[in-house]
Amino acid sequence: MKKNILFIFLVSFIISACEKDDFCVINPVTPNLVLRFYDDINRETLKNVDDFYVWAEGKDTIFKNVSTDSIYIPLNNLSTETVYNLSTGNIVNKFTIRYIPKEEYVSRSCGFRMVFNDVTFAPNLSTWIKDFTPNSLTVIDNQNSAHVKIFH
Amino acid sequence: MLKYFTSICLLFVFINGFSQEQKTVKKKIPKDTTSYKTSYGLRLGLDISKPILSLISDSYSGFEIVGDYRISKRFFIAAELGYEEKTTSEDYTNSTSKGSYTRLGFNFNAYENWLDMNNEITLGYRYGFSLFDQTLNSYTPNVNGQYFPSNTITTPQTTNGLNAHWSEFIVGIKVETFKNLFVGISGSYKILMSVKDPENFKSLYSPGFNRIFESNTGFGFNYTVSYLIPFIKK
Repeated sequence: MKKNILFIFLVSFIISACEKDDFCVINPVTPNLVLRFYDDINRETLKNVDDFYVWAEGKDTIFKNVSTDSIYIPLNNLSTETVYNLSTGNIVNKFTIRYIPKEEYVSRSCGFRMVFNDVTFAPNLSTWIKDFTPNSLTVIDNQNSAHVKIFH
Repeated sequence: MLKYFTSICLLFVFINGFSQEQKTVKKKIPKDTTSYKTSYGLRLGLDISKPILSLISDSYSGFEIVGDYRISKRFFIAAELGYEEKTTSEDYTNSTSKGSYTRLGFNFNAYENWLDMNNEITLGYRYGFSLFDQTLNSYTPNVNGQYFPSNTITTPQTTNGLNAHWSEFIVGIKVETFKNLFVGISGSYKILMSVKDPENFKSLYSPGFNRIFESNTGFGFNYTVSYLIPFIKK
């Protein structure tokens, strides 16, 4: 009887110790760049960008004719620079992001992700984007909050 | 109904009473004079699941020697020594661990043998230690989506001199099939005490420990054939 109890105890111990690390549940693993759009005069208020098109230089359109106050866009991990075209009402604004991509190990199921160090932003301020903040970030390793505030 | 209330209450009353116990005179049972002697000695063997797995699987090769030495009726000092090489393929990484390991500890035989039978239900504990290298063969950075795809990097990166320490609990059975020849199956649950990880990566597999789960635990399985070299009979 004592043997049985011990055996049951051990088996239940083994079964209860099983776990899932076969699936990557972190989403997204590699952070995207988060942009939020604010009113240029009332700098605390979010303001939608209408008729909004977004595409990276030489790539397909990610956002097509949307009206939104925040977007997230991926950065090119094979380069140290990504140039996005942000277009509203057919006025295209080039938005350049420079950074140093670095691989970082996450877990067995998620593998390696990219983090972006020493990020600097350079939008064209002569068109519809009036201002932006901040100019640079030390690292983009999550997308919990906006990385860049854009005033228009 | 109400008038039975007290009576119903009485139903739930326990009374525990006892009177003097009669003294039992212990009769001396004459001792069984026939005693069965069992062999004490060194038992050496192989884990035969590992060479078989090596033949079947491309990603695994391994070898293990097992041994134990009986110190009392129920206790055995036990040890295992082995070498393993295993390639772990995950969605975003492919890595190979190879190295040697040793496990030291004891077994307790929980089985009450009949007559001169010599079988075991084994409960055991081991301390395990491994020394290994891990090579990250290839990996693909996990960038969500295909807008900016990532390249698969196939330059192997080897980290030498990794090690792991762990504790292991074993349950198994051993049966004497022919005179002094034992066949045994056992399963083990392992708890990692410490592991050295490569820089910006993780030790995903340690020889002797097998796959290292996220919670630093692991499982093992042994199928052994061993031969007892008897020294004395007691």
